[in-house]
Amino acid sequence: MQRLRNFKMSRRSVLKGIAGAALGLPMLDVMLNGHGEAFADTHHNSSGLPQRFLVCFGGQSLGCDGDRVHNMYVPERVGADYDLKTALVPLGLYNNIKDEVTVVSGLRIATANGGAIPSGGRSDDFHISSLSPLFSGVRSGAGSTVQGITSDQIVADQIADGTTFRSLNYRAQASWYLTVSAPYGRDLMSYRQDGNRVVAQPGTVSPRLAYNSLFSNFSSPDPSELDRRNFLLAGRKSVIDLVRQSYEELIPQLGAADRHRLNQHLHEIRDLERRIQAIPPAQIGACAQTEDPGEDPAIGGNQTVVSGNDFDTSAGYSSEDDRARIFCDLIYMAFACDMTRVGTLMFTMAQSHMSAYPFLGESFDIHEVGHSRLGTKGVSDVIAWHMKHFAYLLAKMRDTNEGSGNMLDNSAVVFLHEGGHGLDPATGNQYSSHSTENMACLIAGRAGGLAPGRHVVAEGKHPANVLISAMNAVGVQTDTLGEVSGAIPGLFGA
Amino acid sequence: MRNLVAVLSLTLICMVGCDGRLDLGEAKAPAGPSNQSNNANNTNTNNTNIEINTGVIGVAFSGARRLSRDEYDNTLRDLLEDGTRPGALLLPEDSVDPFDNDYRTQYASMTLIEAVEALADSASERLLADTARRDRIVGCSPRGPDDAVCMRRFIETFGRRAMRRALRPVEVERFLALQSFAVEDNNFYSAVDLVVRAMLQQPEFLYRVERGIAVEGRPGVFRLNHWEMASRLSYLLWGTKPDDWVLDLASEAKLGTSEEIRAAATRMLEDPRAVARVERFHAMWLGYHQIPHPTELATALRAESDALVRRVIFEEKRSWLDLFRVEETFVGDYLVEHYGLSAPSAPAPRWVAYGDSGRRGILSHGSFLSVAAKFDDTSPTQRGLLIRNRLMCEEIEPPPPTVDVDQQPHHETSPCKADAYAGYMQSGCGSCHGQMDPIGFGLENYDRAGRYRAHDNGYPECAIEGSGELIGIGGFKGPAELGQVLIDNDVVDRCLVTQVFRFAMGQRETKDDEALIDALHKKFRDKGYLFDELLLDFVTMESFSYRMEE
Repeated sequence: MQRLRNFKMSRRSVLKGIAGAALGLPMLDVMLNGHGEAFADTHHNSSGLPQRFLVCFGGQSLGCDGDRVHNMYVPERVGADYDLKTALVPLGLYNNIKDEVTVVSGLRIATANGGAIPSGGRSDDFHISSLSPLFSGVRSGAGSTVQGITSDQIVADQIADGTTFRSLNYRAQASWYLTVSAPYGRDLMSYRQDGNRVVAQPGTVSPRLAYNSLFSNFSSPDPSELDRRNFLLAGRKSVIDLVRQSYEELIPQLGAADRHRLNQHLHEIRDLERRIQAIPPAQIGACAQTEDPGEDPAIGGNQTVVSGNDFDTSAGYSSEDDRARIFCDLIYMAFACDMTRVGTLMFTMAQSHMSAYPFLGESFDIHEVGHSRLGTKGVSDVIAWHMKHFAYLLAKMRDTNEGSGNMLDNSAVVFLHEGGHGLDPATGNQYSSHSTENMACLIAGRAGGLAPGRHVVAEGKHPANVLISAMNAVGVQTDTLGEVSGAIPGLFGA
Repeated sequence: MRNLVAVLSLTLICMVGCDGRLDLGEAKAPAGPSNQSNNANNTNTNNTNIEINTGVIGVAFSGARRLSRDEYDNTLRDLLEDGTRPGALLLPEDSVDPFDNDYRTQYASMTLIEAVEALADSASERLLADTARRDRIVGCSPRGPDDAVCMRRFIETFGRRAMRRALRPVEVERFLALQSFAVEDNNFYSAVDLVVRAMLQQPEFLYRVERGIAVEGRPGVFRLNHWEMASRLSYLLWGTKPDDWVLDLASEAKLGTSEEIRAAATRMLEDPRAVARVERFHAMWLGYHQIPHPTELATALRAESDALVRRVIFEEKRSWLDLFRVEETFVGDYLVEHYGLSAPSAPAPRWVAYGDSGRRGILSHGSFLSVAAKFDDTSPTQRGLLIRNRLMCEEIEPPPPTVDVDQQPHHETSPCKADAYAGYMQSGCGSCHGQMDPIGFGLENYDRAGRYRAHDNGYPECAIEGSGELIGIGGFKGPAELGQVLIDNDVVDRCLVTQVFRFAMGQRETKDDEALIDALHKKFRDKGYLFDELLLDFVTMESFSYRMEE
């Protein structure tokens, strides 16, 4: 215990030292990293500011079955000052946040089309099969999960050095919402390498937990609370320290497979320990503790039917509107405080069975809207719900000064959709929501010379080409993601 | 303690020769060197009265299994009297196929680690806020914040319950060091809080870690110790941690012989948690763990099936095959009306005779019949697949990647389902669909809520013939005959044993496990298909006391 005591005292004095130092500083144009040091490593652009990489996802295609309108998403006008259709109307908010967003159209993911699955392609059966090529650039496999390491994890390997969180993975849709079955990977968008396997990193669904994780060791501005806070923090650290010791003692006694399993766990505990030990970011500039979101909204009931007269309009919804906003706030602040530089945000699961009723006023779950009488207009209204939150997040980033510019200048943010609209090779239907033809996505930010605010037609390109561009933009020098090669030069400025 | 295993293998190779306890009868094991263990002092592994048979066969793999969400919540309930079931909200989803405890699908992630910490913190917070419960769990009244006697007693008792084994002295000391926080805070319970939180994050709380005693000359094979047997039994039979009396048996080295194990397991099967566990096993196995109907109907259907399982297995201890043959069902007016049965009115559920309705047993229940629906109706394909997978333990190739399984089959001119599905048989799909669809069509008279119907939903012109066939086995009409066909052809009983194996071991069987399953099946058959005997025979088979390291 003597050791712990000493440690706690020394830590307390460190905190006081930092607080004192921060007080003396004016608003800086030099940012500090999580350790209170000026940025000096190579993973920053010439301005010395951290680069951020974020991938967002909406679990729906762009159009509706049988509707000859493929989408109300892709602008008529190509290039700058593009027009906003139904799905993207919210990008007109916040003083035209669309000026920070490029729409990339003309994308597609190739399908087996009766033969073998092509590289970077998918099987003809739609659901799930688009996720592997979409997130990892690797063709879909027999199983239901993503076959390759995803872009966020490749980026994290290169630019996460020294940040408290290697990456943040959040999911707003709180539950699968179907009484039968399970998501089988529709809830996952981040995968990392584990030996010769690719393993999923499930997202945090509890805003409360995510909030605590980010801010539990922020120092209190009220000096009278500081001692109590430090006492509690010391207790927490002792607990984790004890837990870590138990793992460290146990693991060498185990067989190879168990050693591997528990080592994974130990690795995450050490990471947690490191996060707790990390000196809280100096709350200067935009970095400040986010408002406490309170307890999590209640988890809504399951759907028994996905549409129609028996549809339960109170089921399938857990205040995702609030959850999405809170997660946007948290990701934003984690970026502002340089607690992380990499994130994924799954607004809705693939083949989402979240109720569309709360924002659409129609008795359908989101997936069923794509098969409904509501047409591509209905689908676009659902996408617009996602865009409302996306615009909110981007505006916060744009309106945050960093160096001589703003946070978006040092970011690459991509929004991907589960599918496009058009030919379904499994059925031959020409106007199907089960299609990866006529796909489109968004890329925002100006990191690495990205030139947003335009509609770029990238005919025949793969969504992974957009991810590769975003990876390049934040300084990851790669020409490939999985089986897909090449950035899209048109996304960058001259 | 890092060298524990090495030390053990030097000092505790404590084998007596094969004494005929080998349950896989036929195999004659070579007699190993023998001596008797005297190592009663090692509370961590407790190898007293452990016999090791170096010739043991049929040993299954076992790795560190993380508690499923359900097991976590059960364990919290029994450890802390905390029935809030918070794990279901925060822990990553378990993979379900059809059981939720396949440890090979588990991975640690940041989300998991943070959830485990948050769960521990909030459980401790709830405990301390409820002083009566807190005092029961702590078990002594501290004389002051520095009362080390009370703290030590709490750590030893609570630690044994949480980690499911006695703590080693060095571990107790480590937890005891947290008492300095109580002194600093002048509050004994500030340290209790930390102890509880640390316990609930221990690897041996969160995972079921088995090590065992290395079997000489058998690399990778280990004999379980008494503590490990206690957990194996309780998580299999109860889905939760062992009670104190089970841990006491382990502590007294009384979970070593098959007689001791049978006695303990027999007593455990009398506990209501065993009944709930067996009901849950059947619900997950047959897929009605979650029923896709409004709450009132779903609850009534689940209660109907649970009652049948309870009656056959526990109350009347009948042949388990009667699950498919019982001629009455447990329903109140609500379900009597739902099914269209005829019975005198009574609101509360009671046993009502099926008569000549064509229904018998669990395959007639709306719970089971609700499972394999698609396109807002029954799916003959999905029902056939369910029966092949779950009741016959057969795998069917998934459709080729060029097929869109979200497209409803249709016929150019006929609105009838039978005609639409007939298209599958004429194409290349027939080789697989032929194994499934004809089974489903034998249940088509029963809609996805289990109600009888004479024609397709909404199409009076599409009369349902209701005849089905298990290709290569035989024809049937309706759930009663299907159950009988499965029984007559010795399919379902062998498959059940396989499913119990998967549920118990948290993984699919390997080829090497087939001998064990066969041996168990033979006992099951010879004893008249008594499910509780199947469980008892499983846990007392010699191989159940061993593990194969991965």
